Amino acid sequence: MSAWLPLAAFVPLVAGALTSALARRRPRLAQGWALAAAAWTLLAATVLTRRLFLEGPFSYAMGGWAAPWGIELRFDAWSAASLFIALIMLAVLVYSGPYARDEIESRRLPWYYSLLLLNLGGMVGFACAGDLFNLFVFMELVSVSSYALVAVGGGRIAALAAFKYLLAGAVSSALVLFCIGVLHALTGSLNMADVALRLAEIDSRGPVVLALAGLSAGFMLKAALFPLHLWLPDAHAAAPCPVSAVLSALVVKIGIIGLLRTHAVFAGVEGLPMAAFGQVLAWLGALAIVAGALFALFQDDIKLMLAYSTVSNIGYIVLGLGLANHAAMTGAGIHVLNHAIIKATLFLAAGAIIHQTGSRTLRELRGVGRMMPWSALAVSIGALSIAGLPPTAGFLGKWYIALGAFAAGQPGFAAVLLLGALLIFAYYIRILNAFYFRAPIDDNMRSVREAPLPMLLPILFLAALCILGGLFGRWPVALVAPAVERLAGGG
Amino acid sequence: MGAALQNLDYFAFVILFCIGLHTLVARPNLLKKLLGLNIMETAVFAFIVTSGMVDRGAAPIVDGGATGPFASPLPQALILTGIVVAVSISALALALIIEIYRQCGTIEADELKGAG
Amino acid sequence: MEVIDSRIVLAPAISLACALLIFISGRRAAWRSTLALGAAALKFAVILSLLPGSLQGTVYAYRLFDFPPGIGIAFRADALGMFFALVSSTLWVLTTVYAIGYMKDRPQKLRFFGFFSLCISTTVGIAFAENLLTLLLCYEALTVCTYPLLVHDETPEALRAGRKYLVYTLAGGALILFGVVMVQHLAGTLSLSQPGILPADAPPPMLLAVFWALVAGFGVKAAIMPLHGWLPSAMVAPTPVSALLHAVAVVKAGVFGLLRVVYNVFGVELLAVLGYAAWLAALAAFTIVAGSLMAMAQDNLKRRLAYSTVSQLSYIVLAAALLTPLAALAAIAHIANQAFAKITMFFVAGAVEQATGRRQVHELAGMGRVMPWTMGAFTVASLSFIGVPLFAGFVTKWYLSLGALQAEAWWFVLLMILSALLNAAYWLPIVYLAWFRAPRGLPARVGETGWLLLAPTLAAAAYVVLLGVTTRVPGMPFSLAEAAVNFVSGTRGGG
Repeated sequence: MSAWLPLAAFVPLVAGALTSALARRRPRLAQGWALAAAAWTLLAATVLTRRLFLEGPFSYAMGGWAAPWGIELRFDAWSAASLFIALIMLAVLVYSGPYARDEIESRRLPWYYSLLLLNLGGMVGFACAGDLFNLFVFMELVSVSSYALVAVGGGRIAALAAFKYLLAGAVSSALVLFCIGVLHALTGSLNMADVALRLAEIDSRGPVVLALAGLSAGFMLKAALFPLHLWLPDAHAAAPCPVSAVLSALVVKIGIIGLLRTHAVFAGVEGLPMAAFGQVLAWLGALAIVAGALFALFQDDIKLMLAYSTVSNIGYIVLGLGLANHAAMTGAGIHVLNHAIIKATLFLAAGAIIHQTGSRTLRELRGVGRMMPWSALAVSIGALSIAGLPPTAGFLGKWYIALGAFAAGQPGFAAVLLLGALLIFAYYIRILNAFYFRAPIDDNMRSVREAPLPMLLPILFLAALCILGGLFGRWPVALVAPAVERLAGGG
Repeated sequence: MGAALQNLDYFAFVILFCIGLHTLVARPNLLKKLLGLNIMETAVFAFIVTSGMVDRGAAPIVDGGATGPFASPLPQALILTGIVVAVSISALALALIIEIYRQCGTIEADELKGAG
Repeated sequence: MEVIDSRIVLAPAISLACALLIFISGRRAAWRSTLALGAAALKFAVILSLLPGSLQGTVYAYRLFDFPPGIGIAFRADALGMFFALVSSTLWVLTTVYAIGYMKDRPQKLRFFGFFSLCISTTVGIAFAENLLTLLLCYEALTVCTYPLLVHDETPEALRAGRKYLVYTLAGGALILFGVVMVQHLAGTLSLSQPGILPADAPPPMLLAVFWALVAGFGVKAAIMPLHGWLPSAMVAPTPVSALLHAVAVVKAGVFGLLRVVYNVFGVELLAVLGYAAWLAALAAFTIVAGSLMAMAQDNLKRRLAYSTVSQLSYIVLAAALLTPLAALAAIAHIANQAFAKITMFFVAGAVEQATGRRQVHELAGMGRVMPWTMGAFTVASLSFIGVPLFAGFVTKWYLSLGALQAEAWWFVLLMILSALLNAAYWLPIVYLAWFRAPRGLPARVGETGWLLLAPTLAAAAYVVLLGVTTRVPGMPFSLAEAAVNFVSGTRGGG
């Protein structure tokens, strides 16, 4: 029974490794195999989350070796994100059927599914990691598979974007590894809870602050926080659309969860400039909100627009983390989950439109609302959600972060938040306007048909979640609440 | 001064790290960027292994006949994994460089800026 | 006495369902028209059925969803909300009939009637909102649903007007959200069921910020100057949409929001202490005069009507800002008075344009002889705006003056007289032109308007007279306004 936890992470990893061997004869088999593995992971995540609700956080010691000497996997409130990870990945895999068949060479197809499974396993493992070592390993699994996924569709732009992504990601990984080494040298342990305890007893502050700064910088780079976001727009825009969905919705959140874990480790140490650190985060977040939104406003390519929108939304989350009070962190936590769903909806729906029409710029996509009503509807719902209109999913996160800004006595941030929401709405209105109220520029639009069912179903499912997630918002809040209690109460 | 001397190796590795970072950022050739990355990673590995070093410590193998203080095996395990990760990143990066060369005919970043 | 009654959710739900049905299966004209008209009538009936209870003092409530914690989507029909909902649904029936006639030969009817139904759904949602969050939700939904109607013709001019509309209204919405978050922070609740939820001991800068954020936010749709810029440009829309925007839904929603802010968020007592209302009154007074002056300068009939709306809406704002019970009565009553009169005028404008293609005032010479019933309705509405006794507009001016005197601000009485004169200056010439000049250059076949367009026009005009005459009759709208005043000003009674 308790083996669900390691299996949740390792099954997709093993399945991913086996995919190419299995699909050697018949590449078509790869998708079914991947779907099975992802479905299993979703099941495991559900079981684990249920157990979390009933019993509270729990752990699993690998090989029976108890912590802090053994490797510990721990499932707490933030680990419940693995439920969303598995869900979105499953949707992406279903969607990939027709898409990948058309866009990716058939001999690369097994690798595509293999990489997605490795990505899934890595993310679930990262969310459940109890020690720094495993954190690093899973993070690298996610990162390396992401670099490869960006390039898997072929083409020079994708290769260049993947390389840039690789360099940025590897730098941040090296930095994180370095700081893990420092922490180990300081405390002699790698288990996160153990390290937290031992750090509190250390006298010299210098190395501790260094480790905190380095870890934060590394994870900020992974999360594409302004101004360390330069790798993101090209990577997310150049990747195949289902991959873009995974990258924007999920992989980028690895950095956020990393920041949270870092905070948890250092929270108990006295004498650290946590308040100042929080302020820095909040300011960077605010800058990201505005900068991302402004950049998005001036794009003509839909995928670049969505990528910059991700930069902006990461800003919201980091702003919430930086404000560090109960309301703000609740908002940040909820937004991590909600943004994942919304961004996945948007990228998949936009991907369907791009796939059917062959165009990516707003100018060429005019009038597509009439030819592909369901996909355009999903984009509309995603747009309304991400602008934060109640009762969609995007509203609650922003609401709580704004409340947190007031509670922290910094109403200026609330104003920035709303400015950001306005700007976001402005560029999504551009998209909707082009889809519905402009005439097509040429006759090619007339032969465009709605996306095939395996692509439509995940899109509509996720779009429905955008609305339901907003209406039943008290459940994500309840999910996030215990974790926020611990973090906000201490910090 | 004593503290600096004691930690000389640590400083050396930090400097090596910065050299690698500088190479990665400043050199336009993609292959050289990759080399810079490898230098960075090597610096990190060396740093970590050194942190586990014990004066006159033996290799951390139970059956080698040695007794007495052992060097800590944990960092060695850590960097072994790190090396594996670095190797896979390098392999992927080299594959991408080949692909870029095939598609664009050059691997100089300034020439690629126009193309990409 | 609060009663749980699902009818207040049923009312907006009817139009919502109608909209969905139209989107799915509204290709056939007969089915679509039946659906739209049936839903409008049914909704009107449902809301009407709540009227007797409301007059007695019953408040209807219904909770729908609860986001955590304590904020959610809930509905509550007090007398003020009932008044707005009743006005809206009555006018909806009329506008639907008119729209069926007007849109007969125009394209894209499915989209039109679908979003048309959505708009009334959100408007009734605004009327019945129990808390600021529900109000904001329906308010923003209204913005989103009116956009397709505004840009219906898809000409460059329409798209430009639409963009302007969105910029204004979305900015206003953001300001409202800002204010709402602050209210939640200060008061811990967003409920609109109290005569004021903000604590008197909150820091004054925050109260000031909340006041101006909410006033500016709602003021965009309420067309307070200088936030009114979207309204004249929006005249490019088809006439039923202009009638909808300017008499029923959008502008009244803005004004209604302002009333809620004054009466239920701040409360009359707190505002009297803070003294912010004086600024609001000044802004409103300025708008009344400036709007009338700009109306005089317009030759395009619909634009003249637009600026007149800007001016008239500020009557309501001014009345609310006076903070006295009699003024409150005027404010609430004017929601109906202005709506019916203005919609009459818009119906006439559309009928004239439909029949003769004429849009400028100076081309209206002799219309009274060609279409006497139509221009008769216009005359009735004009007299109402000028404030002639026996017409609805007089009731507003009378109670506003009384309310001003009650607030010891007699200069507003002068403002009423001035405004009456200005109104006369830009309505009477039209009336004169229509009746006392000969028609020029009209093709022979132009005659009285078809009954699909005429009937709603006459009904609205009749209502204008009704509202003016029946203030003492129980069960008529005015007594509902009186009941509303009892609610908003706590224990203080109405006139």
